[in-house]
Amino acid sequence: MEEISNFPLNPEPPEEESPQSQMHESTPDRKTMRTTKPGIKRLILSLTVLFSFIIGFPFLWKSIEIYRAPLPFDRIESFSSQLESDPLHFPCRFQAIFVGFDFSASRGLGPNDVAAAITRKMSQLNPNSSRCGNCIGGDYDVSVVIDSGSSCAQTEGSEAKCPLKCGEVVFGGKLSDEDFDEMLKRCLGNVGGGGKGYSVVVFNGDKEEGEVRAVVGKYRHAWVLGHVSEDEAVSRTAEIFARVFMNAGSEGNSIRSEFMPVGADGRIVLSFSLLNAEPQDWIYDWSFHEIDKTLLHPVIQALQPIANITVESQVLYYTPKSSFSYWDDIHGSHIFSTKDLPFFLNSNEWHLDTSVAAGGRSKVLQLVVYIPSAKECPLQLELPNGDLSKTNGFISPMWGGVVVWNPESCVKDLESKDPDRRVISPQNLQKLFEVLMGQLRQLLGLKSDNLYVGQSGAYILLGSERGFTEWELDVLSGKHVCFNLHSCATTLGSLSRLVQSLPRMIIIDEIGKQVKFSLEAAKFAQSYASTGIYNASAVSSRQARSLVEDAFFHPSIMSISYYSFEHCFAIYSPFFLPVTMHVILAALREWKRYKQENRKYLAWKAKERIVS
Amino acid sequence: MEFCFLRILKLTMKVLVMLLLFLGNIKNSTAYFSSSSEATMHTNNWAVLVCTSRFWFNYRHMANTLSLYRTVKRLGIPDERIILMLADDMACNARNKYPAQVFNNENHRLNLYGDNVEVDYRGYEVTVENFLRVLTGRHETAVPRSKRLLSDEGSHILLYMTGHGGDEFLKFQDSEELQSHDLADAVKQMKEKGRFKELLIMVDTCQASTLFSQLQSPGVLAIGSSMKGENSYSHHLDSDVGVSVVDRFTFYTLAFFERLNIYDNASLSSLFNSYNPNLLMSTAYYRRDLYQRHLEEVPVTNFFGSVMETIHTDSAYTSLTNKNFGGAKTKTFLGQSFSSSDINSVRNSDDEDQFNNLTAEEDQHDEAGQCIFCAMDSGHLWSFILGNVITHESVDFFVCYGLVLMLPLLVFSTWLSL
Repeated sequence: MEEISNFPLNPEPPEEESPQSQMHESTPDRKTMRTTKPGIKRLILSLTVLFSFIIGFPFLWKSIEIYRAPLPFDRIESFSSQLESDPLHFPCRFQAIFVGFDFSASRGLGPNDVAAAITRKMSQLNPNSSRCGNCIGGDYDVSVVIDSGSSCAQTEGSEAKCPLKCGEVVFGGKLSDEDFDEMLKRCLGNVGGGGKGYSVVVFNGDKEEGEVRAVVGKYRHAWVLGHVSEDEAVSRTAEIFARVFMNAGSEGNSIRSEFMPVGADGRIVLSFSLLNAEPQDWIYDWSFHEIDKTLLHPVIQALQPIANITVESQVLYYTPKSSFSYWDDIHGSHIFSTKDLPFFLNSNEWHLDTSVAAGGRSKVLQLVVYIPSAKECPLQLELPNGDLSKTNGFISPMWGGVVVWNPESCVKDLESKDPDRRVISPQNLQKLFEVLMGQLRQLLGLKSDNLYVGQSGAYILLGSERGFTEWELDVLSGKHVCFNLHSCATTLGSLSRLVQSLPRMIIIDEIGKQVKFSLEAAKFAQSYASTGIYNASAVSSRQARSLVEDAFFHPSIMSISYYSFEHCFAIYSPFFLPVTMHVILAALREWKRYKQENRKYLAWKAKERIVS
Repeated sequence: MEFCFLRILKLTMKVLVMLLLFLGNIKNSTAYFSSSSEATMHTNNWAVLVCTSRFWFNYRHMANTLSLYRTVKRLGIPDERIILMLADDMACNARNKYPAQVFNNENHRLNLYGDNVEVDYRGYEVTVENFLRVLTGRHETAVPRSKRLLSDEGSHILLYMTGHGGDEFLKFQDSEELQSHDLADAVKQMKEKGRFKELLIMVDTCQASTLFSQLQSPGVLAIGSSMKGENSYSHHLDSDVGVSVVDRFTFYTLAFFERLNIYDNASLSSLFNSYNPNLLMSTAYYRRDLYQRHLEEVPVTNFFGSVMETIHTDSAYTSLTNKNFGGAKTKTFLGQSFSSSDINSVRNSDDEDQFNNLTAEEDQHDEAGQCIFCAMDSGHLWSFILGNVITHESVDFFVCYGLVLMLPLLVFSTWLSL
């Protein structure tokens, strides 16, 4: 450096440049010509310095370069636009089996006509079926089997056995709904390729059969029993397909995307709390281990594709509620009304959040059982219409649910000094758990009524001991896949915008990998969805979302830690700019001098030639 | 003499910092808004309360923050949804005549540092970086849940900040600054990721309104204690403690909230109208152009309290025990009962009148309470130029031309030196 900076500082005057020229006597004009060749030492020196600067520049550039893992921006772009233009749909196969009907005789309709009629009716009932996560809209894959007893007709490509073999059992013995469900599963189970198709079986009974009984089972089957006309059979079938199997009985808007209480990392922590408002009166305990083992475990298993669920429980004392209740003589109990519910939760006394185990972005759902004190026992929730609540509980979306459980006897044991320790009996616990289960379903956006009243009649919905029936799980999975992929796409979009807006930000390899794997998982989810594998699709979509969330929330992405290119320029230019200027100018000057001196020499040479 | 030098130093520092910041933020100004639906339900409340000042003479900033903490807790926001950041520990300061106690009034009725105060970030943990990490959610994996802002797209967030500030900045720890750009950038990223539905930013500092100038995300409501060029003053000096114990803006905010309980329906506009410029000795400023709802219809408990959205559970899921309890009982509940937070029934509950005795003389304000860092008047010129001459689009040109203009100057000076 010293050499470089000294170099232009001690410029020797060009006159003293060539001492040899003075020795030559024949030079007439030293201003215009010279007899010796000009020296190139200084020129070479200054050019060397300049070139070393130029050569050094790429090294400097490399050394101040920051590492940015390459992100697949174009793939992110195409993924989001594809998701936008082509909403995710699952293939669904619907199969309607009419036993004891003769469409061809009465109406002159073949199975294909009946299938078309059902499809038409379904489109009417489900106009916005193009919604993401639903069955493929427009052309439903409906196959029809008509077994009139004497003859059997079916649509082409239908995989059902014709005639239906288990039809005769129906009228033979009175089966309970559950047994009927199991039986249908046995004889229809193989139908529809891996049991992913939905079926409705309509058995035409005699007039004296009494009322029509329509039941939706806990697998993917439903049946209608009783005397129904052909038209009614078709409309009922269509309604079960469109409203129950495709929408889980919801009226379209009750499941909203923001009601997805699954953490960004695909986890849910179910935190069960038993609150003893006043332990001086009584202290209740529960055998939570039993609930966990027998009742909760199947539910968690059932929800496994949607979320990774962990369970914790606690019993808390001294947890009064913060809203008011009053004594009501008519009901013979203390009453709190629905408009007090927002204030029920006593956040200062209820230390519910013990979820140390929960990761940073998991979702914690609180399921709270509140046992009132003797002063306010029994405590009942009054609905706006004046009735008492059957469940005595409420939920708060994305937070959890609360159930008020009243002890059997509200009489406090006044004699004993010791705290009155009791245990909730298994029967009560089971009832409590039913309500909690209803709340969990509500939090996930499902209703728990076991009756669905549609346009063409009421349908009994059988429940599953797993908490969720298979067709409900299908709908849930569909919604979750859809929500996860959309969330994944928007997060990826945000991330790529953010990364592009900060060109001086280091992107470590981890982020690049996470984005890559997330895109891959999303692709898998889409391909699984297109083949109708709900569970695998849900798992992959969850993975895609959690990976991209990890990437987006990576602690190394902080705009405040990074500076722009201008800042980098501002740092390095004071070091290099002044020196570079001098080097360039020196090289230029030397070059000019050399050319000038060379011209002189050439002029002298030319003169010499003329002279000689 | 020394003061003058310091002043100049500060000025140059400020200009430099602003320039750097400007350069740094040019690229960030691309607006990105998510297309999230506006119909999202408000489901929960969060509060981020930040005191940014160290040192004993800034006692009042910690008292401000703790008072707000007490208020939002009283109005129902649970501790796990409050992120409390205190830059210093006044309660344990050796100069504190009342060890382990903090007061916001000279009558010493209310110890703010009593039971159940959960400080999430304390002392040197309160940095601009940590603050921005809390907002944007970019934490190290080891950071526990209690230190994270785990809000979602249904959250209302109250962000309260107090400390020493100036034109478009807020000082942290007397060593770093939070710029209005940083704040706006963090808020934009929060919006992008659906980390809030609505955000109320409340700032008690000098020239607080300037901190909001860069905000552009919808759903953000901002209120500051003073306009640009104004100072925010402390309310009164406690001669026992020896320093001022509360700031005017916060004092009157608390006075407003002491009249309220969780059932009250008082609207945000009534809060904003309650500020009297004569008592504040500054003009409370609120920015509402990014906020869609009418302030008259928004109860203060939407931000300062937690009124939960609840839905009645219609029915239990009975099928689990069908086998034990016989056939399925059919029941129908077709109407869902919503009890929205808007139907707050007004109740005459026990009025907690801890603050009712806030009867300090109104006009007693001490000079020590004035902001030291607000007095940079000549800084206005620079920001005026920046604000008026340079629009966001021409910034790139400005910088490029500036750099190009520098080159001939450099060449010229080099030539001269030869």
